[in-house]
Amino acid sequence: MGKKRKHSETQAIEPKKKDEGAPERPKRTLMGWKDKKEVHKQPDSNPESNPQVFRNKEKVMVTCSRRINYRYRHLMLNLVSLLPHCKKDNKVESKSSKGSTLNELIELRGCSSALFFECRKNRDLYMWMASCPNGPSVKFLVNAVHTMEELKLTGNHLKGSRPLMTFSSNFEKDAHWKLLKEMIMQIFGTPKEHRKSKPYHDHVFVFSIVDDHIWFRNYQISVPHNESEKMVRGGLDKMTLVEVGPRFCLNPIKIFAGSFGGPTLYENPFYVSPNQIRALEKRKKAGKYAKKVKAKTRRKMHEQSNPLEPDEFADMWKE
Amino acid sequence: MGLRSKDLSFLQPENAAEDDVMDPHSEEEESEFESESEQEDVKLMEPSKTAVYNREGLVEKLEDISWPENVDWMHKLSLDINHEKEVDVNDDLARELAFYTQALEGTRLAFDKFQSMGLPFLRPPDYYAEMVKTDAHMQKVKGKLLAQKKQIEEAEERRKARESKRIAKEVQAEKLKERAKQKKQEIEEVKKWRKQRQQSGFKDGKDSMPDLGFGEGKTFERSSKKRPEVPPGDRSGGKAKQGGGKGNLKNKKNREFRDSKFGFGGRKGMKKQNTAETTNDFRAFNKGSVAGNKKRKR
Repeated sequence: MGKKRKHSETQAIEPKKKDEGAPERPKRTLMGWKDKKEVHKQPDSNPESNPQVFRNKEKVMVTCSRRINYRYRHLMLNLVSLLPHCKKDNKVESKSSKGSTLNELIELRGCSSALFFECRKNRDLYMWMASCPNGPSVKFLVNAVHTMEELKLTGNHLKGSRPLMTFSSNFEKDAHWKLLKEMIMQIFGTPKEHRKSKPYHDHVFVFSIVDDHIWFRNYQISVPHNESEKMVRGGLDKMTLVEVGPRFCLNPIKIFAGSFGGPTLYENPFYVSPNQIRALEKRKKAGKYAKKVKAKTRRKMHEQSNPLEPDEFADMWKE
Repeated sequence: MGLRSKDLSFLQPENAAEDDVMDPHSEEEESEFESESEQEDVKLMEPSKTAVYNREGLVEKLEDISWPENVDWMHKLSLDINHEKEVDVNDDLARELAFYTQALEGTRLAFDKFQSMGLPFLRPPDYYAEMVKTDAHMQKVKGKLLAQKKQIEEAEERRKARESKRIAKEVQAEKLKERAKQKKQEIEEVKKWRKQRQQSGFKDGKDSMPDLGFGEGKTFERSSKKRPEVPPGDRSGGKAKQGGGKGNLKNKKNREFRDSKFGFGGRKGMKKQNTAETTNDFRAFNKGSVAGNKKRKR
């Protein structure tokens, strides 16, 4: 794609992960020049193929809309601390937020994906997950939010350590779930040699589909450390998980082909917007007073039409 | 494409009268190939049949964004866990348990993989680095946990105390009964012996003494507990020094206290205070507390 081809041993930078044929230049990592070693080790393997030089350069931009609730803001901040490869940006205006503005912002920060939290009516939280240049985007409704600050979630883990992600097997059942799984894996997975990532793996993410919602949990792996060696061999059986949080439940609403817009690829047939739910409830309650009035008039008519017989004992206590 | 759903949205209240958590009927039946279906049942809790489902588009996008096939698992770190049974969403415990087991299984698999690759997995205990929750926060968590534990323990203790009190009462009642019975028995025995003796005319010697256990049984031992020393000049009968400031309130209604004050003619009876014996007797005075200025109000 117009990149200069250098010496056959060195390879050019892969622009995004899509360009699979382009050769790459040795990557500079914290440990030094990584690729030279690998090229040495596998001298006969094809320098054009990617596996030894694949580099996850995912960067996620995390923003929210104005007038966001305190609980959702804390959720966003929790996510920012969980993803070391994210960049937190300022709040965006709600009216002009769709489409172009957000895409421009993402380009500006040089990110490849985005998580956008939109809070409406101070009550409902919608989360957009988008892959920037022309990738698909999803809009979710977020329920059941519990942030990390809750004292009942007692676990703790290293900030920036790479998570293990577990997906339940129902993610393979349908095309849209597969797409969502791929997007989640790319956005929530910390890149391997990221600057801010920490070595060991001490927490697990759980993404599970129950009742057509994606449930998220984050657990700390804790093993009783009675041995001082790094890898606790016998401790596998005594491994317990403590919940760190946050917790939330995502209800996919729509999947678009473009970033924050574009043709709809998928629409959730079971989705009812929270406004509609509230309207329904109000309508149910609204009938109460009218029904009561009607019942009263009905009773009156009934009494009038069937007069009671005069009571024998009515005069008993009269003087 | 999404316009159709708007048309029918005003009809939705008749269809779907509940929130997001709906019956997960199979999605296959409503997913059409790149077009919206016109069926629209007015049944309650049926999914809206006009949803878009562009399977081809989805697969295409998936291929677009996914990483190349031969990427090392180390980059992805994702595990697929088998999830057989359907969990009821509303049953919190079962649901959380399902998530927990999923995570546990995933961790075990990952652990095996890491072991086989020879890479470090768990955090060693001496590795200190910035954690995702601050130390202050963890202190709060700890405080809360301790408070909970204390509450439980206190409840346990209270319950145990109640139980033991009840049992102790029962035991006491038993003991009293026993004693009464014993007393009665002994009196009966003495009566019987007397009667016997009477009947046989007082002619026997000491042969038929009833064995009331004088010889073998233990002799009366004085209890070694020291009773509080009461000076002879004390008019309250020893009750003045008992208890402290708090104990006084309880003792005022005691039978014993009242007895000592009013019983048998009361304390106001004429009793000599200054006698030859009491001249050098200072037990009644506070030991060492009148040192210093007597005039200062204490």
